Amino acid sequence: MSIATTVAHSAQLTKRSVRGRLRQPAALAPAFIFPLFFAALGSASFNRLARDPYFSENIASSFLDYAVAGAVVQGVLFGATSAAGDLATDIEQGFFERLLASPISRVSIVLGRLAASMVVGVSQVVVFISLFVAFGARVTSGAVGVIGLIVSGALLGLAMAGLMAAIAIKSGSPEVVQGSFPLVFVLLFLSSAFFPRHYMTGWYRTVADWNPMSHIVEGMQGFMNHELNVDQFVKAWLVPLGISIVGIAFALRSLNRRLAAS
Amino acid sequence: MTSSPIVAAQLVRHFGSGDDVVKAVDGVDLEVNAGEIFGLLGPNGAGKSTIVRVFTTLLKPTSGSARVAGFDVVRDADKVRRSIGVALQDAAIDPLMTGRELLNLQAVLYGLTKGAGRTRGDELLERVGLTAAAERRVGTYSGGMRRRLDLALSLVHEPTVLFLDEPTTGLDPMSRLTLWEEVRRLNKSGTTVLLTTQYLEEADQLADRIAIVDHGRIVRAGVPRDLKAQVGSPTLFIDVDQSHIESARSTLARFGELRPSAEGTLGVGLVRGAEDVALVVRALDAAGIKVRHLELNEPSLDDVFAEATGHRLEGAQ
Repeated sequence: MSIATTVAHSAQLTKRSVRGRLRQPAALAPAFIFPLFFAALGSASFNRLARDPYFSENIASSFLDYAVAGAVVQGVLFGATSAAGDLATDIEQGFFERLLASPISRVSIVLGRLAASMVVGVSQVVVFISLFVAFGARVTSGAVGVIGLIVSGALLGLAMAGLMAAIAIKSGSPEVVQGSFPLVFVLLFLSSAFFPRHYMTGWYRTVADWNPMSHIVEGMQGFMNHELNVDQFVKAWLVPLGISIVGIAFALRSLNRRLAAS
Repeated sequence: MTSSPIVAAQLVRHFGSGDDVVKAVDGVDLEVNAGEIFGLLGPNGAGKSTIVRVFTTLLKPTSGSARVAGFDVVRDADKVRRSIGVALQDAAIDPLMTGRELLNLQAVLYGLTKGAGRTRGDELLERVGLTAAAERRVGTYSGGMRRRLDLALSLVHEPTVLFLDEPTTGLDPMSRLTLWEEVRRLNKSGTTVLLTTQYLEEADQLADRIAIVDHGRIVRAGVPRDLKAQVGSPTLFIDVDQSHIESARSTLARFGELRPSAEGTLGVGLVRGAEDVALVVRALDAAGIKVRHLELNEPSLDDVFAEATGHRLEGAQ
């Protein structure tokens, strides 16, 4: 199968996935509502933290500025999990088999979903940043920082969708995919998404130090709260890119195994 | 090498292994001629769908070989997929997409240009009577509409070989007739059709030839009329009181071979045909057996099925 064909098939399936997401507002809503809720809750509860000299000098000028990155990451993870759930639904309900009976490029089935997650991730970043800016947040690194955040959101969507797609293809069950999401959420809570690492102690701090999610969030927080620097790009782009490579590899391996088992 | 568009030789497909192995297809030889409608008839779990899934490249054979449109289903799977149309058992169609969107997607997957795909989509929507519903999401379609859309999707690339897996299961009689008409029309235009069904009438009405499948094997194959003629005599079914069933059985055996029948009913193949009915009734009466219900059936595919397998087809109509 030629690369042009694979791209054409992937593009069609991306279009289908994005359209499917938009046509399920009830499934899409949590990916927007919950992160905003947590950000609002955090801002209301922890805003006094911004008076702490260390926080205001090194982390963010307000807790709202700090909370933006966590909200974006949370929303993207929600969205990517839902996309993988849709893939599992395709398997469970037979649409996956319909595709396999056609001369489709096999990898397009996975790539279409992953690309759709990136598209949804980008739109989530744009919506979140617009809303937070409307409520007083500020992107210190300017337009380039906004682009940095958008690319980071897309890469994180790709990374998480890849990992979740591997589970979706292996299990063929939307319930299993949804059941895996709490683990992702635990990973998020054990990171600096909702609270800075500087204030953590003991095992919680150790886990957060090793948690790649902390570094992605902090890279994004860097775009929000500091002038541009290389560290932000490394954390916000390269870490999710690395996870994406692993995720895509797992997803394609699951696909190959499922096809080989048929 | 045969030029038939669908060929299987000693086709085997097992699931599982060891003591738990399920022999879904167990040594099937099959040859479907160009331009014919061939029916695989059998109950649920007989192996019909597994045979279709091997032919359509969705499953690899455990052993044996299968060729479709001249291509091996394992070695030339992609060429097979380009040559065939497939409508699977559950009409698995994305409920969030519209009929037209699905046709457009299918057209891209089969390499049609955007314009050609659109034109072909319009033709097919009209052909299956879904033009008015083309922009509606499939989730709002009835079962019959989904099946017709499924058929249209399988025809986007004008395949020469069409596989229909239980195309009318669950449909109302009107939708079933509409689909039969469309299948006949396709066949007249030269498409070779292999369909699976558990409906005797469907196999009888639609198929030029049939194969009866039971426990993964083809137990009879041929033209429905010839198969029925081989059964020969009509079957007399009688209902008698349970306390008299054994004596009724021995009485009936005097008039012909006892045939499988539903529980609580006895069936006998009348060697001399309908003229024996009066004699059977008199003999049962003389033996003090009261007949509650009596029915004489000309040989049907169910009789063929019963003779070949020892049991009647579940859900026979």
